[in-house]
Amino acid sequence: MPNEKIFYREGIARALHEAMAADERVFVMGQDVGAFGGAYREFDGLHAAFGPERVRDMPVAEAAMVGIGLGAAAAGMRPVVSVTYMDFLMLALDPLVNYGAKLRFKTAGKLTAPLVVITTAGAKGQGVAHSQCIEAWLMGVPGLKVVAPATPDDAYGLMRAALAADGPVVYVAHKKLFPMAGACGAGDVPMGAANIIRAGRDVTITAHSYMTRIALAAADNLSVEGISCEIVDIRSLRPLDVGLVAASVARTGALVTLEEGQLACGVGGEIAARVREALGPLPVQRIGARAAPVSSNPVLERACIPDAARVAAETRRFILNDATSRWRAG
Amino acid sequence: MIYKLDVPELSEDAGEVRVLEWHGEVGDAFEAGAMIVELETHKAIVEIRAGQPAVLRKIAVGAGEWCVSGAPLGLCSDSADEELPADEAGVGALLARFEIA
Repeated sequence: MPNEKIFYREGIARALHEAMAADERVFVMGQDVGAFGGAYREFDGLHAAFGPERVRDMPVAEAAMVGIGLGAAAAGMRPVVSVTYMDFLMLALDPLVNYGAKLRFKTAGKLTAPLVVITTAGAKGQGVAHSQCIEAWLMGVPGLKVVAPATPDDAYGLMRAALAADGPVVYVAHKKLFPMAGACGAGDVPMGAANIIRAGRDVTITAHSYMTRIALAAADNLSVEGISCEIVDIRSLRPLDVGLVAASVARTGALVTLEEGQLACGVGGEIAARVREALGPLPVQRIGARAAPVSSNPVLERACIPDAARVAAETRRFILNDATSRWRAG
Repeated sequence: MIYKLDVPELSEDAGEVRVLEWHGEVGDAFEAGAMIVELETHKAIVEIRAGQPAVLRKIAVGAGEWCVSGAPLGLCSDSADEELPADEAGVGALLARFEIA
């Protein structure tokens, strides 16, 4: 139903349900994906509709799940493997990076691996090994695609795009986005297309996943002071929509990158470098997690992860102190 | 006497919730303990049960519609023929309890 309001998790489940109904090669593997419906209910209804053969509960064995998924994909199936926490995707990087991402290249295109690995990133009170955002690690792997939807609409549209892709896709959901409800236009969201979610004049802020919510809240705070922020939801990390970000920065004259993960070799560093290559010298500020693990102590978790107040403060300082920004010149 | 039925305070991270099903129509009487309405959060079904006998008089949020914690769901009364107030501001809360299914 176009523009029906749904939960974020329902965007995922709906796209999977439609794909499984249309194509019997699509099946799901993971922990608690069956009758339980997924840790975040993102697989709700699939087991009842398609049965245990196509919605398969698996032991806690990430490398095996992704390896089996890749083998099935190479043999013509279209598997979806759920790795509940992104932290444990580390266990599956060998099959994913060394085999899945390279299969098309190694076989001169004779084989592809249309595998979707769905996982959840982000801090939500679960400590050092259940909170990480390591999507930047994956952005440097040729052959891999990485998407990170921030709304129910994009959760649906990007899952459709991932299911239609011909190579491995890592689909990064976020723990704090599951309570979100929003309109679902039931349309396609192409991979590699960023989205301007708030128009502004003075600075471009890029973000993806849950950090888009923080960026929007910070922009609300700054608008009271007369600072107008344009917010770009990156949505797709690889391929990356450098063109849209560069066009935005060309208008605003300044770039802030925001991410929940670490800054070193992070998403923001990559965006800043690519936009610099497109536009020439530009004022840029990166904002991300402190260089520390995310604690299960809520005070320390909050201290580590950017919040709206910190994003507003760092953006304000950047805008007002940077002599080359249009804000300063104007 | 007229009573209001509000969306209970649910978990800290519950945002908007959806009304799944009303277990009766306007004019129906509920015994104490009967389920009046089911809500759906992002991860659970919430059953709201009457804590006192009451008659359902008004449904403010229909099945499939969305609301937030503290928002009015509907009105009840002791008997079916009591006049509903134009202003619901001073109306007391129906005794009710909720269970996470």
